[in-house]
Amino acid sequence: MSSADRAYLNTRVAMMATQLLDPNTIGRLSQMQLPELAERFNLAPLLDEQQSPRSRSRAIEQSLIRVLFGELQILVRPMNAAERAVVLAWGRKYALFNLKSLIRGKLHDLDQKEIRDDLFDLPPNIRLPDQELFRAENVLELLRQLEAGPHSLIARQAREIYEQRREPFALEAAIDQRYYAGLVRQVMQFHDDNLQPLQHLVGAELDRIDLLWLLRFRFSYQLSPSETFFQLVPSPRLLHRDRLLALVNLESFQRVIESLPPPLDTLLADCNTVIDVQRRMGRHMAREAHRVLRQSPSGVARALAYLMLREMDLFLLFALVQGRLLNLSSEVVEIALEITEPTCPWSGAKAA
Amino acid sequence: MLRPCPMKHVRLLVLTEDLPQASLALAQTESFHPDTRPPTESQLAGLPGRDYRDTYNQARSRLDKIAKLIEVPQTPEIPEVRVVEFAELRQLNDWLGQVWEKTSRYEEDLRRLDDQDRFVREQEAALANFQHLNIDLGMLRSKTRFLDFYVGIVPRENLRQLEGAVALADHLLHLYMQRGENAHVVIVGPTGTKEAQLSAVLNAAGFQPIPIPESLDQKPEQIRDELEAQRKDIRAQRETALQRLSDWSQGFRGRLVEARRTLILAEPLVTLDPSLHSAGHLAYLAGWVPARDMDGLTARLGETLALPFEIQSRDPRPDERKLVPTVPTRTRLLQPFALLVKQYGIPEYGEVDPTPLFAVTFLLMFGSMFGDVGQGAVIAALAWYFRAKLGRFWLFGLMAGLSSVAFGFLYGSIFGYEHVLPALWMSPINDPILMLKIALGYGVVFLVVACLLAIYNRAVIGNWWGALFGHHGVVNLVFYLSLVWGGLKLGTQGTFGNAPAALVVAALAALAWYNWRHLDAPVGEKVLVVFIETLETIIGYVSNTLSFLRVAAFSLNHVALSIAVFTLANMMGAFGHVLTVILGNIFVLVLEGGIVMIQVMRLQYYEGFSRYFSGEGHEFAPLKLRRGSASP
Repeated sequence: MSSADRAYLNTRVAMMATQLLDPNTIGRLSQMQLPELAERFNLAPLLDEQQSPRSRSRAIEQSLIRVLFGELQILVRPMNAAERAVVLAWGRKYALFNLKSLIRGKLHDLDQKEIRDDLFDLPPNIRLPDQELFRAENVLELLRQLEAGPHSLIARQAREIYEQRREPFALEAAIDQRYYAGLVRQVMQFHDDNLQPLQHLVGAELDRIDLLWLLRFRFSYQLSPSETFFQLVPSPRLLHRDRLLALVNLESFQRVIESLPPPLDTLLADCNTVIDVQRRMGRHMAREAHRVLRQSPSGVARALAYLMLREMDLFLLFALVQGRLLNLSSEVVEIALEITEPTCPWSGAKAA
Repeated sequence: MLRPCPMKHVRLLVLTEDLPQASLALAQTESFHPDTRPPTESQLAGLPGRDYRDTYNQARSRLDKIAKLIEVPQTPEIPEVRVVEFAELRQLNDWLGQVWEKTSRYEEDLRRLDDQDRFVREQEAALANFQHLNIDLGMLRSKTRFLDFYVGIVPRENLRQLEGAVALADHLLHLYMQRGENAHVVIVGPTGTKEAQLSAVLNAAGFQPIPIPESLDQKPEQIRDELEAQRKDIRAQRETALQRLSDWSQGFRGRLVEARRTLILAEPLVTLDPSLHSAGHLAYLAGWVPARDMDGLTARLGETLALPFEIQSRDPRPDERKLVPTVPTRTRLLQPFALLVKQYGIPEYGEVDPTPLFAVTFLLMFGSMFGDVGQGAVIAALAWYFRAKLGRFWLFGLMAGLSSVAFGFLYGSIFGYEHVLPALWMSPINDPILMLKIALGYGVVFLVVACLLAIYNRAVIGNWWGALFGHHGVVNLVFYLSLVWGGLKLGTQGTFGNAPAALVVAALAALAWYNWRHLDAPVGEKVLVVFIETLETIIGYVSNTLSFLRVAAFSLNHVALSIAVFTLANMMGAFGHVLTVILGNIFVLVLEGGIVMIQVMRLQYYEGFSRYFSGEGHEFAPLKLRRGSASP
């Protein structure tokens, strides 16, 4: 990236970062009703009373995803090929959400319209060949078609697993695992100043994902240490390969939490449930992304950090809108927005 | 020729039963460009073509998938154009679904055989590797009392993760070979309680065990032969599967061709789907039709529709100008130039089509910059020789070559020889100053014509302020002509003259006043912007005019390059001379020819199109049947 492009990207990121929500703003938003939210965030579908809450909620979700990808497209414009590839690889998880929706739809023989309604509308450089996949008549045909494109690695693995086991869990776990492994591979291809901040950022995300998967697979789904380890993706940061090997061999939720490396051990010290861990790791991830956004000299890392934070904000906004559409109590909405702590008396083994 | 083909907006109301027939009739006229805007009447909220479209898409997708295994022509001849009703389309879709279900089984069988073949190759490679080991391979065949063995292949990308996972089940993984995307591994561990754990991991990792033949230690050749026999068997199975597929499909191949015909006939209604709206039995569709084709279209609908219909047409409204499609030029000679114009953009409706002007000025500039009878003839001959590969573009090469030949005669230049052919006019090198003056004069005429076209393009759509004060409008033209007048006086009489100077100042003042009024900014910023824009107007016109000096410069450059080639050739012997002249001509032809082409395109796009051509229109794409051999 030329110095002019770098300056442009940094300026863009700095300008966009002013839109990120701080805790005070989230507090104020939680008090707003639908018309105010629609006006503030330009969400016209919210006010369309003729649509069902589900349709309105889906339309809002699509609008928010469009906002995220609109900004992503602007940010990747000045980037060079490798930088663009890593940001697009991050965004491609939405294409994989679409793939999972398609697979579920085909597995359960859902109506075409129902499947189509569940798909995200993505820009061309992110999306799968949805139309062709959509016309596949079964899961096997769908994966075979996908094998012919750029997702051949994911598709081949998924197809082999599906042919052997015919169960959606294994299929989706394989898709997720391939996705994160691919993302780490993209990051490790850098050999310049971008490597360290990207490792830091994607590593933080992988630490979060790995810990949650580990706890779920080991203690909720009762998988063996071998099976659990195979489904994980070693992080380039705290939860690297050797550490994961040690953690999956532990026999209790509490032992895993106690054996985590700093700063995760203190951060999660009094966690008793997977939900607790999820919330705290989410906040930890946000802090790490903010740190990269503020301090990193790497334009691509700052852009990616911004997109991750923006995605979290848009999810919060979506949670708030859904809460309002479903007339949920303000306590529940505030828990979803992480303004107040939940008081669920679940044990770690039960919570999944 | 410069004016666009006049268009009409058509609004058609038919009964929904007649929609398939109406779409076919419109497709046959090849003059209806659908307008996808919804009607203003809120009652027309139905989407009558939606189910038809969905069924068509599924049927088409099924037929395309079938056609990958069973040959079905893409565009078969259609002996008779007929209406495809929804019931027929649905029936066809169901039948194609049944055919695809069976065809996909054949496809899956063929893929399975391919996988088997790949696996046998892996086995061959693995066993070739084992032959060199000095161990008892019999031990690897099955588990012993204390040890468990797994020999097989695993995708390379899973290797590292699998290594860790098997270690957790107290096993060791040894990689002994990597081939393509696969890794060949041996996994060893104690027989015991963790076998089930390991088996689940191996499944998840896509592990495929490789059987170890009993006689591998003693008779490796025999094993190799057996594996080769297996591959032959797989090939034979493949042939048999293909033959079975062929035999099975014999009975309905004709029906598949008929299915393709049916889908082609159903396609117009599907293409129209975004423009179709309805209320009860009344269907609405709208589109754009060239005015000259209106009568033909109305007559065709009248002949074919059995039920009553209503057609209304009107001229496009000013606010619709951006939506009206532009009919591309059909003159054969201009078509290659139209392709180059299209690279810049499509003329907006109402805008002057720049193709004829582009063609004339392109040939004029290319010929004058690259005037040589011999080299021009080579370009023309090459274009003719490769006409099949160049498609419509060969005419472009031919005309550029002929233009070069014509200017070659004027300059008296043939393959760089300046004294063989008598010049009808003169060689550019004889009077470079005159050449530069002509180029400058040509530039002035080119820019004035471009400004006039810009003024016309705005005036024709009623943008009078734009025509007067906009970029390259009347005031700009007055400024430019005054500048040229003053420049001429300065060159001939040594003084710019009061009248031209007064006109220049008045024009600039008028432009500054107009810019000032249209700027919404603080006074300081306004002063700065108006000053810079006024300065930019002066610099822009002067530099753009000087830009045309390259036309003369390249004609001189052509002669100079030829002189350089002959100077080198004269330093050689007889053979060297001939060789240098030939290579020099090829060099001039390729390098200078290419550069001249780029320079001419630059002058056209930058000095010409950017002044008067928005290129923001869209092309007329009429509804039509996908084949050309149906009888009406």
